[in-house]
Amino acid sequence: MKFGLGVNANEPLRDIVKKSIAAETLRMDYLWISDSPVQLYAPIVASAVASETSKIRIGLGLMSSLLYTPSQIASALTTLSDNHGSRFDLCIGVGDRRQLSRVGIRTTNIQKLPFKVLEAKRSIVSHLNDAGVRAKIWLGAQGPKMLGIANSFDGVLLNYSKPEMIEWAIKKAGLRPKPRLAIGTYSPSYVHLKSDPSVLQMAKVSSAVVALGTASPILKDFGLYEKIRKARKIADASPTLESILEAVPDDVIEAFSITMKAPNLHEYLTKLKRLGVSHVVFAYPQNYSLTTIRELARALNLNY
Amino acid sequence: MVRNSCVQSLPEALLDLGVTSAAPMKRILGVTSIAKRSDVYGIWLGEDIGRGGDVFVQAAVAMRSAPNKRIGIGVTSPVVHNISTIARACAALREIDPKRFRLGLGVGGLQDLVRLAVEVRRPYKMLRETIDALRGIWNGETVTLKGERFELSKYLARYRPGFTIPLYLGVRGPALLRLAGRTADGVILSGPVRYLEKALKIVHDEATLRKSGTRPRVVFWLPTLVTRNKSDRDLARTVAATVIADTPTSVLEMAGISDTEVADVQRTAREQGYDAASGYVAEELLNSFTISGEAGQICEVFQSLAKLGADEIIFGPPYGREIFWSIRGVVRAWERL
Repeated sequence: MKFGLGVNANEPLRDIVKKSIAAETLRMDYLWISDSPVQLYAPIVASAVASETSKIRIGLGLMSSLLYTPSQIASALTTLSDNHGSRFDLCIGVGDRRQLSRVGIRTTNIQKLPFKVLEAKRSIVSHLNDAGVRAKIWLGAQGPKMLGIANSFDGVLLNYSKPEMIEWAIKKAGLRPKPRLAIGTYSPSYVHLKSDPSVLQMAKVSSAVVALGTASPILKDFGLYEKIRKARKIADASPTLESILEAVPDDVIEAFSITMKAPNLHEYLTKLKRLGVSHVVFAYPQNYSLTTIRELARALNLNY
Repeated sequence: MVRNSCVQSLPEALLDLGVTSAAPMKRILGVTSIAKRSDVYGIWLGEDIGRGGDVFVQAAVAMRSAPNKRIGIGVTSPVVHNISTIARACAALREIDPKRFRLGLGVGGLQDLVRLAVEVRRPYKMLRETIDALRGIWNGETVTLKGERFELSKYLARYRPGFTIPLYLGVRGPALLRLAGRTADGVILSGPVRYLEKALKIVHDEATLRKSGTRPRVVFWLPTLVTRNKSDRDLARTVAATVIADTPTSVLEMAGISDTEVADVQRTAREQGYDAASGYVAEELLNSFTISGEAGQICEVFQSLAKLGADEIIFGPPYGREIFWSIRGVVRAWERL
């Protein structure tokens, strides 16, 4: 299994770099730098991180194919590779539709989105081939329709943490695990030796945001649809993180994050491995501090 | 300062180096390396729309490679990037160093817009809204704006806003020059000397209306190349043809150049490309639209441009056939002035 740390692109760049160096020293396999319309531009963050590290692989994305043209995404990856070598993976997809709508991008024809993303992937590959850049391209997806195109990618990053939901997604989309397709998960995480209430609260907020963006079919299958529908209305009226947290019930939040004590991680990862998951990304707030990063590394070293 | 302070009679302009995003990374790093070791004030990265590398990442690399120099993007356009992308890319560049980054905005070159099949109906409104939106976002405001080319709805940046970034406008027509005079931190001008004189007057006249009493910094960026022989002059003609093809009528009028003088160049560029069009570039047009000659001559022209009121003058591209030799030559000649 490969393990990655999600990088929070809202922090000061120097803090991001410091934590990334720590992640490399602690032998994490990947840093995944998220990209959304309200965060720092991920390719610049990736460049800053790459210039201060040497071996750790850097995942860029999810880069939304609605926010960027394929040529822009390929150009970012090419410029990074030209400067820092072939250390980059790319994850593309639609992205958070609520965030996209805030910057004027509406996703009205949802049926066509998988086709558009696949088309973007092919165009990106063509641009990268022309530039002589080799990079693994992942699909960032959650809903069954989007997951339907996953087998055309090198890997898929599922925005789920609960093993039952991951299993549901794999079966529903007919995903064919390695060697054809790497299956990964990307979830808000807080794996700890000793719990810090403030970090726990951050994990809740992050998983609430994921829950609000989750596709209806899976919410219905897991009996969460009504709760989320009500929460979305409240969150729409006020986009602050606090209001989002208040809107989403605790049991829903727990379903969308890896929040556990370090000794429990082994059992959890064993379940994922059985499902064919080969790549686990521990996203914000696991990178909150050098302490939380070290606690994750210790938990992984205990088990792997 | 580039200039020797004991030479009182010389205008206080600074020398910058220019490079565009289609340049290979080696060239960009070569330019930053020369800049780092010289009195050059800053480096401007122009975005070749739809071609070349990611100008934001290139700027980040340039900021790290030349940590003692100002780095500017000159220019990018909201026609090409989502406004949020411009805002957060620049925020990330400012994170590298809060004092060295500046952003140039423009509408986009005529040929680029045609290639992208984009029509900008109200460029003044678009740029005005872009400036307002960017300043609002960086100031930490929740921005809602339904604009000419973009839309923001309750948009709030999460990357600790509460700062400003100097905004330069790379514009040409009178209305946009007035906008630059009224609101921008700087203006990047390009065109024949007679045009530059008139453009500067518009910018400065408009700036007098500012309550702050400040004036935008003025940067001149003309295609410049060191030439030594006929083959170099042919390259200069091709460059001039490229520029003439992209020059709007308003600029030609202000420069006192009639449509008929450039008609053959523009038509041939459209139908057969710039190399073929270069055959129609008369000597007078060549000298109006490009600066060419030996390094010392180029610096003399720069000096005369500085007297018009430029704060900074950008050298290159295309520099000359031997790029780094040409850049070093001009930098040394400038330092000797």
